[in-house]
Amino acid sequence: MNCEVFREQLDSYFEESMDEDRRRWFRRHIRECAACRKRALISDPSLIFTVGGEMPVDTEGVEHCVRAVTAQIRQQRMTRRLHGNRRPWLAAAAAIVMVVSVGLIWTSIFGGTEKQPTAVVESAVEQPATTPPALEVDMPGEDVRVYQFANEENEHTAVYFIVNPALEL
Amino acid sequence: MCATIAGVCSHGGVTMSDREWIREALEGDEEAFAQLVRRHSGGLHRAVARILADDAEAWDVVQMAFLKAWQRLDRYDPRYSFTTWIYRIGTNLAIDLIRSRSSRQRAHKAGTEHRLRLVGAGESAGLRADGHEADGILRQIVEVLTPQQRSAFVLREMEGMETAEVAEVLGCSPTTVRNHIFQARKALREEMRTRYPEYLPASERG
Repeated sequence: MNCEVFREQLDSYFEESMDEDRRRWFRRHIRECAACRKRALISDPSLIFTVGGEMPVDTEGVEHCVRAVTAQIRQQRMTRRLHGNRRPWLAAAAAIVMVVSVGLIWTSIFGGTEKQPTAVVESAVEQPATTPPALEVDMPGEDVRVYQFANEENEHTAVYFIVNPALEL
Repeated sequence: MCATIAGVCSHGGVTMSDREWIREALEGDEEAFAQLVRRHSGGLHRAVARILADDAEAWDVVQMAFLKAWQRLDRYDPRYSFTTWIYRIGTNLAIDLIRSRSSRQRAHKAGTEHRLRLVGAGESAGLRADGHEADGILRQIVEVLTPQQRSAFVLREMEGMETAEVAEVLGCSPTTVRNHIFQARKALREEMRTRYPEYLPASERG
């Protein structure tokens, strides 16, 4: 490998048809040989970016980055620990809803006397305001409230709703 | 930068590889992960700053990249070097950032001031240009490149990565990498002829 080979290979470098070993040698040569560097830059000024030399790393920036990343990792861990303590309640509420939903479906398919669907008649009389359902579970700060709507005549039927307090009217 | 180096740093006099740090970090050792950040963030920042033409934004991207890496450490594939993996995350974030920028912001991007250099007879300024100057010029003209062209060109031509590794970082084939670099060099060449004629030899200046 010498300067003559370098000159012959110049076009191959620009055309991206050089294999990796040859390309590695080419880059090393262009940085070491002033004459070949001059010739190459005349052919293609964009080679300034290849021969420009390695820039030093910003060591102060690195240390700042390390501190920032470590701090954020610790904060994420703390947040996860805090939220993790409330997860059992969420899981329990979700399990209750699933069980009740399955029960409702079972009842409607297999159980109870068949009732004819009653026609819905709009009443001109203003319906009295109903009292809000009893709040079953209230977890402050958590996006879960579980209400129980129970039909007193049918103790097999209970409906639970999990509501996001932000959506409650 | 030679990206094929396994990535080695010392800890208490004992040299540990990236894989060993990763193993300890997977067990929850934050200090082990901090060593990986210390080892790779400088080089990643240098590459991302060149791609984005912005130092400060590059540090934000680097921090986000390492946080993502921490969150996905259990999915790290040891077939690839950590360098390739973290560069892939960082480069993808940088490309996303470029795409999210408005074209107006790109046109008015304030980069390093270009210093005009006196050129001697028959000699182009490029012959005396150093890394700082090359970076300064790149910041002024990098917007002529697509995000993929920028990334491929910076990673291989300026950071010294092998074509195959650049392909792994960018998630494309080596042929595509070469094509990106070919197109990038062509665009940069034309842009330099127009905006930086002092980098051409006296015989070629208009």
